[in-house]
Amino acid sequence: MLIEVFGPGCAKCETLLKHAKHAAEQSGRIVEVVKVSDYAAMAQRGILSTPALAIDGVVKSQGKVLASSDILDLIQK
Amino acid sequence: MAGEQTPEKGSGMCCGANAPAGPGFFRKGGWLLVALPAWVAAYLSAHPLSEWIAFRLLRLVPKSHLGEAVAFFFYDVPKVLLLLTLIVFVVTFLQTFVSPTRVRNTLSRHREGIGNGLAALLGIVTPFCSCSAVPLFIGFLRAGVPLGVTFSFLVSAPMVNEVALGMLFAMFGWKVALLYALTGVAIAFVSGFVLGRMRMEGHLEGWVQDALKAPALGDMEEEHPSPAERITASVQGVKDIVGKVWPYLLAGIGVGALIHGYVPQALLAGLLGKQAWYSVPLAVLIGVPLYANAAGVVPVVEVLLGKGAALGSTLAFMMAVIGLSLPEVVILRRVLRPRLIAAFVGVVALGILLVGYLFNALL
Repeated sequence: MLIEVFGPGCAKCETLLKHAKHAAEQSGRIVEVVKVSDYAAMAQRGILSTPALAIDGVVKSQGKVLASSDILDLIQK
Repeated sequence: MAGEQTPEKGSGMCCGANAPAGPGFFRKGGWLLVALPAWVAAYLSAHPLSEWIAFRLLRLVPKSHLGEAVAFFFYDVPKVLLLLTLIVFVVTFLQTFVSPTRVRNTLSRHREGIGNGLAALLGIVTPFCSCSAVPLFIGFLRAGVPLGVTFSFLVSAPMVNEVALGMLFAMFGWKVALLYALTGVAIAFVSGFVLGRMRMEGHLEGWVQDALKAPALGDMEEEHPSPAERITASVQGVKDIVGKVWPYLLAGIGVGALIHGYVPQALLAGLLGKQAWYSVPLAVLIGVPLYANAAGVVPVVEVLLGKGAALGSTLAFMMAVIGLSLPEVVILRRVLRPRLIAAFVGVVALGILLVGYLFNALL
C-alpha cells in the first residue's frame, strides 16, 4: 500500500505527514508513506488545496489535516 | 476561554458510557446552547474588567498615555479574541458548503464576465491559504476556467477575508463591512477581467503551459459532510485559526494600543486624513510589504479610524496589507513569469488606490 502526502512544505503538510506515518505504523501492514512536494505532480492529480492525501493513487482528502485515526480508518477500509 | 471547556463537560454529563457510538445530543452540537451564553457573558464583562486591571490593579492614572494604552490593550484582547472565536466558528461552518472543488466545478461552466463576478464572490467564502495558491491556480486552469476568471478568484480570496469581514461587521457595523466586501469584490472583478483581456497566457511558466496541454479534467466529486461533521470541522477550524492567529492579534492590538495612547491625533489625521492627497498611496506603500494576518490588521484599523484617518485611506491600507503580500508573490512566481506577476500586482494596487481615493472623495 502506498500513501502519498501532497504539500509544498507548510506546517500543515508536515503535520499530515507525521499523522500518516503514525497511522501506517499502527496499522501493522506494509505501508509506504511518501511526501510529494512537486507542484506539477499535484496539478496532474487534480489537487486543488494542500495538504492532500492519496492512498494507492486515489486522492482521499484535500485541504485538511486528517487525524491519525482517520488515516488508519482509510488504510483499513 | 469559557466556550472551550463546555464541550468536554457536556459530553461527560450526558453520554459518558456510550460516547463514541452514542448519538449524544451534546456531542452533536448541543453544547453550543451552553457555550453561547457563556460567550455573551464574557464579552460583556471585557470592558469593566479592562478598567479594573488598568486603573485598580495596576493603579495607572485614567486619561494618562500609559493608562489609556494599557486599558485599551486589556479591553481589546479579550474582545477581539472572543469575536474571532465566534466568527471563525460561523465562517468555518459556512465554508463546509463551499469547497475549492465545488468552486472549480462551478467556475468551469461560466465564461468571462459572469465568471469573473462569480469568482470574486466565491473568493470571499472559499477556504484559502496562500500555500495552496499554486495547486489551486493550476487546478482551475486545467478545469477550463479562463485565466482572467482565475485571477479574479486569486485576488478576492485573500483580499476579501471572511474573518476580517466578520470582525469589521462586529466592530464597526454593517456599513463598513459591506463597503469593504463590495469594493474588494469590485477590485477582484475588474482586475481579473483586465488581466484576462491582456492575453497573458504566454507569460505562464513553461511547466504550467505543459501541464495545461494535458486533456482538461472533468468535474470532480464533491464532499457532502453531515451536520455533526460540519460542527466538528468548525471546532477544528477555531482551534487551527485562533491557535495560529493569536500572536498576530496580540501584536496588532499592541501596535494599536501604542498608537491609541501615544500618537497625537493631529499627526495621523495629517498623514492619513482626507485632505492629504498622498494619504492613499502612502497607505498602500506602507501596506504592501507588511505581511499580517487579516485578523491582526483589524485592531490597527480600529485605532487608525479612531484617530482621524480617512476611511478610504484606511481601507486601502487594510487591503494592501492582506490582499497583496510579498510571500504570496514569491509563491506565485513559481507559476507566473515576471511580466505577469508585475501586471498582477500593478493592476490590483491600482484598484486599491482607486477605491481609496473614491471613498475619501465620497465620504
